[in-house]
Amino acid sequence: MRTMKHLSLLFVLLSLSFVGNVTRAQTPQATPPPPAPPRSGTFPKPVEETLPNGLRVIVVQRSETPLVSAQLLIKNGGEVDPPELAGLADMTAGLLTKGTQTRDATRIAQEVESLGGSLDSVARWDSSFANVSVMSSKIAPAMEILADVVRRPTFKSEEVERLRQQYLDNFTLYLGEPGSIARFVAARVVFGDSPYGHPLAGTAESLTRITAADITKLHSRYYRPDNAILVIGGDITAKDGIALATKYFGDWQKPSTPLPEISAAKETAASKTGRIVVIDKPDAGQAAVYLARSGINRKDPDYFRGIVSNSVLSGYSGRLNQEIRIKRGLSYGAGSSLDARRDVGPFVASAQTKNESGAVVADLLLSEIARLSSAPPADPELTPRKAVLIGGFSRNLETAGGLVGQVGSLALHGMSLDEINRYINNVQAITTADVQKFAGTRLDAKTSNIIIVGNAKAFLPELQKKYPNVEVIPVSELDLNTALLRKKQQAGQ
Amino acid sequence: MVRISKRFLALFVAVGALAGALVVAPAQTRMPQMKFTDRTLPNGMRVLSAPDSSSPTVAIQVWYHVGSKDDPQSRSGFAHLFEHIMFKSTKNMKSEMMDRLTEDVGGFNNAFTADDVTVYFEVVPSNYLETLLWAEADRLSGLNVDDPNFKSERDVVKEEFRQGVLAPPYGRFEYLLQQKSFAEHPYKRPGIGSIEDLDAASLKDVQEFHTTYYRPDNATLVVVGDFDPKQLDAWVDKYFAPIAKPNRPLPRVQVKEPERKAEMRFTEYGRNDLPAVGLTYLTPRQADADSDALRVADAILSAGESSRLYNSLVYQQQLAAEVNSAAEMREDASLFVLTAILSEGKKPEDAEKSLLAEIRKLQDAPVSAAELEKAKNQIITDQLRQRETSNGKALALGEAAVLLGDPARVNTDLARLQAVTAADIQRVMKKYFADTNRMVLHYLPEASKPAEKKVGEGK
Repeated sequence: MRTMKHLSLLFVLLSLSFVGNVTRAQTPQATPPPPAPPRSGTFPKPVEETLPNGLRVIVVQRSETPLVSAQLLIKNGGEVDPPELAGLADMTAGLLTKGTQTRDATRIAQEVESLGGSLDSVARWDSSFANVSVMSSKIAPAMEILADVVRRPTFKSEEVERLRQQYLDNFTLYLGEPGSIARFVAARVVFGDSPYGHPLAGTAESLTRITAADITKLHSRYYRPDNAILVIGGDITAKDGIALATKYFGDWQKPSTPLPEISAAKETAASKTGRIVVIDKPDAGQAAVYLARSGINRKDPDYFRGIVSNSVLSGYSGRLNQEIRIKRGLSYGAGSSLDARRDVGPFVASAQTKNESGAVVADLLLSEIARLSSAPPADPELTPRKAVLIGGFSRNLETAGGLVGQVGSLALHGMSLDEINRYINNVQAITTADVQKFAGTRLDAKTSNIIIVGNAKAFLPELQKKYPNVEVIPVSELDLNTALLRKKQQAGQ
Repeated sequence: MVRISKRFLALFVAVGALAGALVVAPAQTRMPQMKFTDRTLPNGMRVLSAPDSSSPTVAIQVWYHVGSKDDPQSRSGFAHLFEHIMFKSTKNMKSEMMDRLTEDVGGFNNAFTADDVTVYFEVVPSNYLETLLWAEADRLSGLNVDDPNFKSERDVVKEEFRQGVLAPPYGRFEYLLQQKSFAEHPYKRPGIGSIEDLDAASLKDVQEFHTTYYRPDNATLVVVGDFDPKQLDAWVDKYFAPIAKPNRPLPRVQVKEPERKAEMRFTEYGRNDLPAVGLTYLTPRQADADSDALRVADAILSAGESSRLYNSLVYQQQLAAEVNSAAEMREDASLFVLTAILSEGKKPEDAEKSLLAEIRKLQDAPVSAAELEKAKNQIITDQLRQRETSNGKALALGEAAVLLGDPARVNTDLARLQAVTAADIQRVMKKYFADTNRMVLHYLPEASKPAEKKVGEGK
């Protein structure tokens, strides 16, 4: 454990800004008492070791609660899906827990849950993982099962069929909800037919094409110790964690074939005019309004400018929620996210609103993005938004799961684990000019896209007055397999 | 405890079905005992506190013993709307000042309204504790909301209704499950309310509700985290003790939900593509001794992929895309809920039969020792996860005090749970899962509705 000096510095700064903002000279009872001097906190320090087979093991101890979380990360996920097999990496991860050489699906669930634990495996963008979380007294048997499912899954055809049907059902459920349709469409609009464009868990068509052979091939190519990271966090010492890792993963053979190449970060595609896409779902109970555009990759030098800019827009008192919810009552919540991935990821701002206000909310999203550079936040606005980021970051490190997630993400992107201790300073260093620069160069409203999923007749006329080039696609004709978004029309129609 | 709604998005993860508190684990796991102080001020306000300096933050919660069941006549959704209004102008704070005192200094705030309670909470750097005690005392002392602010926030709540009930394909299914499960008790009005009742609410209702229910003898303050106990006592005396206890009696819901005499069946249609089936059984109030066995039965039925419902309906028979059960505990009368969203091409009748078959199995034969142990381990691990943070610990403490009437249960409920036997589970399954105690809801796609009944689209 190591003391974090920055944390105490932070609380001093915040205290000052707070006193300046709200103290008024009135009766003592009518004004809030000022804060006391701040106390400093500590972040746990990760310890790591790379095993001879190339597996990088990281242990981060936090013993307040007797829980341990262990995550085996593979450095590839949905971005390696072949275009016609969208969902392959996620199905592969999902099938890990559905049978190994010595355990069938029922037994895996039975054994893990008898320990009181939970075992999940999914693919995300740029990574796949299996995660087990148990009481610390049960970590050894849990780790043995984790190793078994990652190293020796069998991908039996009956399990492939079963999971395929579950994925198909889930896809149907997603298509019933305006918000999830908007997310799928936004990804296609921003990334087109490139790797981040498809739904991570596949489409009705791609799921039908995936075979057990495709799955086995993906597993043997990417699930190997020199393409993996094991992060263990919570109530466990570094020594015990590394011993467990060595016992259950030490004899995982590294293949002689070279590692699959990880593509280098690509620059954002040349900017063009944004699209305005409406998916007409006449029975929608609310409209989902999304602004989407390309953002940054995780190693972008603008990363901290980006996340602070996003924090100015997002969160309860962020500008989007101020304008859309607090001032106008147009939504239960508006916010944004800057998802920094290995390649350039998306920036998305969104809100759900009654169908009738679809166009006005779209306008507000666009104007708030533009206002970030035309009226950047001065210190009295910026300082609290930085505090939000820092507070959330620090709280996240209070749980075993949060610790594992943060450390795992740094490791995945090949970044120094010390970044945890630099985070607060890096956020504090961002200025008004930094936000203005980032917003002006990376979040241009003119090149942003708008997607609205809802009952189009309630908002389309108003939208078309401002944007004559609106593309309207009935939900029955929506095709998520292609950037065109529209099912091929039959001749003569 | 079933939490109906939150002030903002899904910032708060509900763990209602497993609420309660467990402190000594089986096997070698050491479960930290929560050492807390319990005091009651002369004005009737209860104060529970537990110091924990593992991080320089503190969680502050105020539990008001008023919930959606106390919504006034023709004002369903009002307790929840009121919860939103508590973030507007108060005696000495302007609108959204609570956000300035929390979010702006790196903390957060939120609130939720359940059927029986309304809970406000903040987590802040610990040097702001006094500031937040002042702020909570201030909004307990009085509100000062104007009409534009009231109407704007009411619009927000209407959007919350649309986002929770109208937009998701199964939002109305869950709404109907609760509505049709109670005959008399105000629990029959789901806490999110209705657009009509929300539109009917006025500023006058707000003032009356505050006067009636927001009083020190109806409030429990819970503080967990980094603080000095003596200092806390002094601040509590300074800010909360001067708030007068009114002379009026505190109204309490007296309606008793009658026993069910015969199975009830409903068919409703919605914008879902896959049919859903829901069953509810009326079970006793949360403080009843049978609640522990019902919780273990719930875990056996639906906790994880080795659970009976998942294994049978999702894995073996592939009848359902999703299946769930919940021992939804409430203060006056509870529900045991089973739901299934069907897999493509499957019949609701078959899913219903399979759900009933799993209930029958639990009635006909005792669960094995291994299955019982598994369920208990799962519940304990969930409890540990809830208690990783100060806010989670405070929730456990508040629930024990307000809904179970004894904060010590935060530390003694594990023994109660460990004492549940296979015979107890079989007994409660026989006692509460009679055919006559069942409500059945089939929720089918609009497209499958007989033609003459169809409602015109997009009115």
